[in-house]
Amino acid sequence: MIIRSVIFGALAGALIGLTASFAQESRNLLESKESLYNNIYVYEQPPYVSMTFGHNRKIYTESVYNTRDDRDLPVAYTRFMTASLMYAKDVHSILEIGFGGGRTSWYLHKFLPNVSVTSVELDPTVVQLARKYFGIKEEPNFQVATRDGRLFLSESKERYDLILIDAYRGPFVPFHLLTKEFYQIVKDHLADGGVVAQNVEPSTMLFDAAIKTISVVFPQLDFYRADGNIVTVAYEGPERKPEDLASFARDRDKAYGLRYSLIEMLSERRRIQIDGGNVIDASAKVLTDDFAPVETLKNIERHNRKLP
Amino acid sequence: MKSSFRVVALFIYSCAFIVGGVLMGFEMLGSRYLFPYFGGGIGTWASLISTVLCALAIGYFAGSAIVAHYPSPRTIAVAILIAAAYLACVPVTADPVMEKILNGIGDGPSATLLAATALLLVPLSLLGTFSPIAVSILTRSAHEAGRVAGLVYGVSTIGNVVGTLLTTFLLIPTIGSRSITYIFAVVLACCAAVLFAPTARRLA
Repeated sequence: MIIRSVIFGALAGALIGLTASFAQESRNLLESKESLYNNIYVYEQPPYVSMTFGHNRKIYTESVYNTRDDRDLPVAYTRFMTASLMYAKDVHSILEIGFGGGRTSWYLHKFLPNVSVTSVELDPTVVQLARKYFGIKEEPNFQVATRDGRLFLSESKERYDLILIDAYRGPFVPFHLLTKEFYQIVKDHLADGGVVAQNVEPSTMLFDAAIKTISVVFPQLDFYRADGNIVTVAYEGPERKPEDLASFARDRDKAYGLRYSLIEMLSERRRIQIDGGNVIDASAKVLTDDFAPVETLKNIERHNRKLP
Repeated sequence: MKSSFRVVALFIYSCAFIVGGVLMGFEMLGSRYLFPYFGGGIGTWASLISTVLCALAIGYFAGSAIVAHYPSPRTIAVAILIAAAYLACVPVTADPVMEKILNGIGDGPSATLLAATALLLVPLSLLGTFSPIAVSILTRSAHEAGRVAGLVYGVSTIGNVVGTLLTTFLLIPTIGSRSITYIFAVVLACCAAVLFAPTARRLA
């Protein structure tokens, strides 16, 4: 999970230097841990606790938890991840890839206690810290598996109504979670009428390639803008009509008593023409297991291009 | 005789560089073959690196064992050619093999090691025989041994560095892993051809 909040930017200029020193003073380091995969720092800034990964002298916030309210989603994109609820035909089971502090999955579990929520997290230390500081408890219908997301899916025989993808390691997404082959595995694990929501960081050319790749596997793709991030909702079959989505949204808002109303999120829905090069670079290539230069694409800024 | 020795020495040093480059380049490619099946963690890297070093150890031992019997450029040419053939088979066979390992024994350390072994051990062991045999060919008198060994290992290590960087920062971002593997196979086959050349044969 990532918000590109850049704090401690030793290399950053005066502009963010100001916010950095401010944040540094009011934040209190609760614990830092070097795990197999990350350098993890847990900060407290009452009433919030945040989990961050250090990378390159920068600290990337992965998850923010409101200690006074475990159903609060302080980070905008995590709310929009739940917009997928109005697309799914049924909601019996949810899978999340990339647990982090577990906010999104815990929110869904709390409002949909009868739905089986499974989250997959690569780093066992992240899960450990989430249990310690982020109010994650053992409860029926809520499971966390510590595994590589793709491995988990390829070995799983389950099908899910919602699959949420949010696997970041600091600023990076592992390449094998961005390829056509990966999305094909995701598609094979969707129940009838199921949908896939993904958090995508839109400032570099990796965004264009990722969108191209998703759209090769899923014919329908909706966009939700959430602060610095984009949440995509992908599904099969014909395009859902706005009025159908609205009726699903109203029903589910009511049925689950959701705090972040689906009907309000629906007004933020955007669709774009993927081909044609207006929004997505026409030369962006589909990522495959064979060819996925994610690090290189990540280093190319998206200049003069609109956001969906 | 003297000038033909120089030509052969040039061939061998060039091949030491190229073989060193392909060796590490293929290790970097190994990560692209393994990650989709075994995840991109430190465990996968540990398996790759230990397999490469294991292959080199086997190659060095094997090279030192056979060098007394077959101290000729032909021997290394044959080893390189077999390695090239192995690499040429990798793009087509890698996915079924990885899948078989994943379904058979899961994704633990033993599975990752086995996958790295299947991918890297044979070709890199064969390439590992290069240095000891090359040192033996290039050494004409006992007092030269140290100098020659240092040169061969130095040149091949620079090849390692170039191979690592070129593969990671140029090849992987521009062409697919499978195409890079084919290129490596062709490059190795060219090295083998050079070492089979008449001049090289006459010397030994």
